[in-house]
Amino acid sequence: MTTMMNRPASAPGDASGRKPLIERLNIVTALVVGTVSAIVIWQLALHFLPQDAETASFFNREDKISLMSLIAWFVGFMTGIGALIGPFRWAFGKDLNHDENMFLAGKDQGIKRYFRYTTDHKVVGIQYLVITIIILFVGGTLAMLIRTNLGHPQGGWIHPQAYNAIVGWHGIIMIVATIIMITGPFGNFIMPIMIGARDMAFPRLNALSFWLIVAAIPPVFISFFTGGITTGWSAYNPLASQAGLGMNGYIAFICIFAISTMVAGANITTTVVKMRAKGMTWNRTPIFIYGVVASVALALPAFPVFFLSQIMSAMDRAFATSFYNSAAGGSGWLYENLFWIMGHPEVYVILIPSVAALMEMAPVFTRRPLFSFNLAIMGIAGISGLSVLVWAHHMYISGWAPLLNAPFMLTTELISIPTGMLFLVLIGTLWRGRLWMTMPLMSIFALLWNFMIGGITGIYLSDVPADAFLHGSMYVTAHFHYTLMGAGLTGALASLVYWFPKMTGRMFDKTLSWVSFWLVQIGFNVAFIGMFLVGLAGQPRRVESYASIFNKGNLITTMGAYTIMAGMLVLLHGVISSWRNGVKAPMNPWQAKTLEWTVANPVPLENFETLPVITSDPYGYGKAQS
Amino acid sequence: MSELHTSNKAQWWKSADVKKTAILWVILTPIIGYVGTVVQLRSIGAPASEVMASVKSLMGIFTWAAAPVAGLVAALAVTALLGDRHYGDNPPEEADHEIRNSPRAAATWVIVSTLLCLFALITGLIVLQKDAKSLLDAKAININVTGQQWVWNFDYPESDGVRSEVLYLPVNKPVVFHITSKDVKHSFWVVQMGIKMDANPGYVTETAVTPDKIGVFDIRCAELCGLLHAYMQNKVHVVSQADYDSWLKTRAALEGAA
Ligand code: HEM
Ligand SMILES: [Cu+2]
Ligand SMILES: [Cu+2]
Repeated sequence: MTTMMNRPASAPGDASGRKPLIERLNIVTALVVGTVSAIVIWQLALHFLPQDAETASFFNREDKISLMSLIAWFVGFMTGIGALIGPFRWAFGKDLNHDENMFLAGKDQGIKRYFRYTTDHKVVGIQYLVITIIILFVGGTLAMLIRTNLGHPQGGWIHPQAYNAIVGWHGIIMIVATIIMITGPFGNFIMPIMIGARDMAFPRLNALSFWLIVAAIPPVFISFFTGGITTGWSAYNPLASQAGLGMNGYIAFICIFAISTMVAGANITTTVVKMRAKGMTWNRTPIFIYGVVASVALALPAFPVFFLSQIMSAMDRAFATSFYNSAAGGSGWLYENLFWIMGHPEVYVILIPSVAALMEMAPVFTRRPLFSFNLAIMGIAGISGLSVLVWAHHMYISGWAPLLNAPFMLTTELISIPTGMLFLVLIGTLWRGRLWMTMPLMSIFALLWNFMIGGITGIYLSDVPADAFLHGSMYVTAHFHYTLMGAGLTGALASLVYWFPKMTGRMFDKTLSWVSFWLVQIGFNVAFIGMFLVGLAGQPRRVESYASIFNKGNLITTMGAYTIMAGMLVLLHGVISSWRNGVKAPMNPWQAKTLEWTVANPVPLENFETLPVITSDPYGYGKAQS
Repeated sequence: MSELHTSNKAQWWKSADVKKTAILWVILTPIIGYVGTVVQLRSIGAPASEVMASVKSLMGIFTWAAAPVAGLVAALAVTALLGDRHYGDNPPEEADHEIRNSPRAAATWVIVSTLLCLFALITGLIVLQKDAKSLLDAKAININVTGQQWVWNFDYPESDGVRSEVLYLPVNKPVVFHITSKDVKHSFWVVQMGIKMDANPGYVTETAVTPDKIGVFDIRCAELCGLLHAYMQNKVHVVSQADYDSWLKTRAALEGAA
């Protein structure tokens, strides 16, 4: 160890001696250590764990083995990527020195730093961007399998078991992708520069939050081969306790992801509170920052509950406890409550940063100030506050507490007031603007359209008598795709085009951004209007075949889905081709006034040579008539 | 702000874009309301109970209440889009105003959305109240519904333990369903009657309806319950009182014989 202290840790490929440990760890060592640990624990457990007694009422030896192997994978992977080096060195009184910290920050490592436990927020942002694209790609492929199977009433070519597994897999990984799609790439890469900071408050936690997501993914992939997540993304018990070993993959995935979200939430919140540039008072802080903070701060109360609900699920499976087993004194309603106490705030975790990103772009592309900054903050705060008080609108007809239906109907419908404020801010900014016709600008219009439909259908759903008809039908599926995709994803794609020049140094191909925009938006509206109609006609959700009266609507939806796919592939092509040989971007291609556009391309390691001092908010567009 | 601007403000409704918005609003609102209602209500189909009829009218009312809001947003968006557009790789000049706020517009917006919200709440509560009362009807027929993977069973405890996989109901008589499950959660949905209630293992939940049309309607499970969830469907036959009585009699005889 002493030798390591003395030599510059960043000297790349020192051929003479062995490289210090910190330089040898990367994604390959992580995968190897993780896999080996999982296999070792699996084999040990297989040999030494006693068989279930034949008289036992529960057989859970397999569950124990698979959960232990998954935990071993997790610990092994995190060790192999180097997450433990910092804490251990610190605990033994040999904290990392300057050179080692610079190595961790990714100094002079070229492409390799993207495959390491790198702490630079810009590297983490790019890593998040890539992993989001990968998850969206896999999730999209699964969606196409679902839609293709539903092109015909008798479904048919996918076995019901596999179909249910695909639906669950699609649901949960898309939820994760949409949760990270803005706060991950743009919250990490752009946000610190936007507030005039040199890095995040806790750079190592930043690396940790990203690599936890990477560690979480293999369990959910493997689950597909051990029976699958056949319960939908909500994994209700007792259906989940009845399902096969694949559920353990779901449990591991959620638990690890929840830790990642909590770590990221603490890190981002602290960064914004403590590290804003001199003079950046709350009134001069860009609205996107508010969106990011609201999102991760909402996740702070929500995800521990999700974590807990899955730990209890694991205990029911592996140790025959009875949290959710009504035959032994538990209750499935307990699970539903825990799930939706996370589940409703979580939908705003997804929505808020997306709307806030479009609010950030609105003044840039209309060349006028943001309309009613204060109302925007009120709206975000109001939604965040109310969103923890509405969860039981997902349980109106569960029979759990009929007397609470009216109060939950009240809180749910109240959310439309702060939501309306967000609409006013966007529409007010468009009003009398000089519209610069770009894909991000049109995304604002698309969001208004889609979220209008998503929000109004939300009101029908929050009405108890109407929900007694609509719950559990395709109508609900269409509603939340309008909000998650129509509003959330639209904002994320606009963010991608808008911040692409800063993140990659190149402009996003304009033609491709337009083509993909129209394909995605048109396909989306075709697909999900069709889905509303079959829902109203009485088609339940998560079905693998359906009565032939629903055929036309499903066919429309499937055609829309293929159009979306085409649009997304065009977008993917745009990302790859523009990244590799797009037009070199100037420092401030949009002539915007936030700080991230004042730093050079590529952004230097420490962002700012001298830290900026802020004297006004970034919305000083427009000139008074004289 | 300049002299000109303030005088503009005094007669803000006279400016061309405001007029354009107003005209668009007047045009778009009925279109949105009409299309929204017709498309949705037509997809739902004919109701087979008063509960379902009130769901349909609720959705119609909500759509019409939402139409002016959606119409206004659409009118404003279209006006903006028809206004001052610029193409090209460089930003247009900055707009020639710097309006950052309009307390009047904001206050109006918030007050109107609050009122609409209250309206939705009250209409919903009125219907909810009516639905809740029907659970207490002493003259109602009681039927026990049991879900299990992947069938429904219906017990008629007031009629010598008749049990059936197909539901028979007399027309115009109130019914209360007592619903439970043997394994996992299911959801008992009588589509055309607009009622749905989860079937939970270990608990009994209740819902009530009075069918008011003779005919055959659909029962579908509305909660993912495993492998064959999609096939957990069934029919409900709503028949005249006489037909109902004779059906019960033959079923009872069958049970006795078995
Ligand atoms: C404008 C306000 C909104 C209202 C009043 C509203 C209301 C509701 C209600 C009552 C349900 C339950 C339906 C049922 O299961 O019977 C629901 C489901 C859902 N909503 Fe919303 N919603 C709103 C906005 C959003 C937004 C912004 C998102 C996401 C970005 C969202 C995502 C979801 C999801 C994911 C579900 C279904 C979850 C599931 O069952 O799998 N909603 N919504
Ligand atoms: Cu919700
Ligand atoms: Cu079912």
